[in-house]
Amino acid sequence: MISGIAQAAIQTIKVEVNGMVCAFCAQGIEKKMRSLTQTQDVYVDLKNKVVAVQLKDGQKLSHDTVKDLIKDAGYDVTKIETVGDSAQQIRATTRARK
Amino acid sequence: MLRVAATLLVATQGLAQAGPMGFKDSWMAMGDLSPNWREVWVNYALTSRDAVGGGLLYMRSDDKTKSRMLTEATYTRLLKRWNTKESQANVWLLGGIGAVEGNDFSGSKLMWSPGVQLDYETTRIYVSATTRLFRASGLNHDYASVRAGFSFFEADYDETQPWFIVEARRMRGLSDKLEITPMLRLINKGYFIEAGVNNSRQWRFNFMYIF
Repeated sequence: MISGIAQAAIQTIKVEVNGMVCAFCAQGIEKKMRSLTQTQDVYVDLKNKVVAVQLKDGQKLSHDTVKDLIKDAGYDVTKIETVGDSAQQIRATTRARK
Repeated sequence: MLRVAATLLVATQGLAQAGPMGFKDSWMAMGDLSPNWREVWVNYALTSRDAVGGGLLYMRSDDKTKSRMLTEATYTRLLKRWNTKESQANVWLLGGIGAVEGNDFSGSKLMWSPGVQLDYETTRIYVSATTRLFRASGLNHDYASVRAGFSFFEADYDETQPWFIVEARRMRGLSDKLEITPMLRLINKGYFIEAGVNNSRQWRFNFMYIF
């Protein structure tokens, strides 16, 4: 029975961003990402230059779309991947290292 | 109208840690306020590199005998940006055209104001240089400013980061005295403010807001 309960895997797009040196400037990235209907949560890590976009259950978002939005905000993407951690888990992991 | 234009131009130069425009499809409002210099402007980012807007600028000479009011339409262009992991550097083209009024001439004059701004910043250091021509028939109020500063510590995205910034600026024909203003800057993801007192013991307050 337990195996019959469908639980979608968490999907978070984790992006490394060049040029992200100021919170006031980087707010554009957060606003762009939160404006997407697929977005569940967003975490911006200014120190490590990382943006994490957690998707809602069952939603899809292409890496190209994320790259284009970050470029529109004025920054460059150097690495992008999809991971199984939530934005909050990434935040907690990052803060535990500090 | 001329007054607004002048105000906008100066504001564009004066603030800008983040640059004189926001991200694509955003509005940015800015203000640079002191007894001899009061400017407010707003622009809209049509693309990630182009913004159009308008503003008002009131300028007064050091001896308080001469004043200008500029109203203008502005265009801001990000000519070049270098993004690295730890820094960002920009070359901005600033432009404006509007009407300027003054207390030592009647009516208004067409004023144009091309300019360039260079800036470099990390999470701990900020430097910039701006020059702008404020020209109208019989008027030359060319402007230049340099800024440098440092943050007291690194901050996370959701924290407020304090900076110490010093600006030196000068405007031909109105303020031939070099104005030097040390300021405390507070940067947060929601706001950008600066406050200080210049070498003539005049207060100054700047702000930027993106919406």
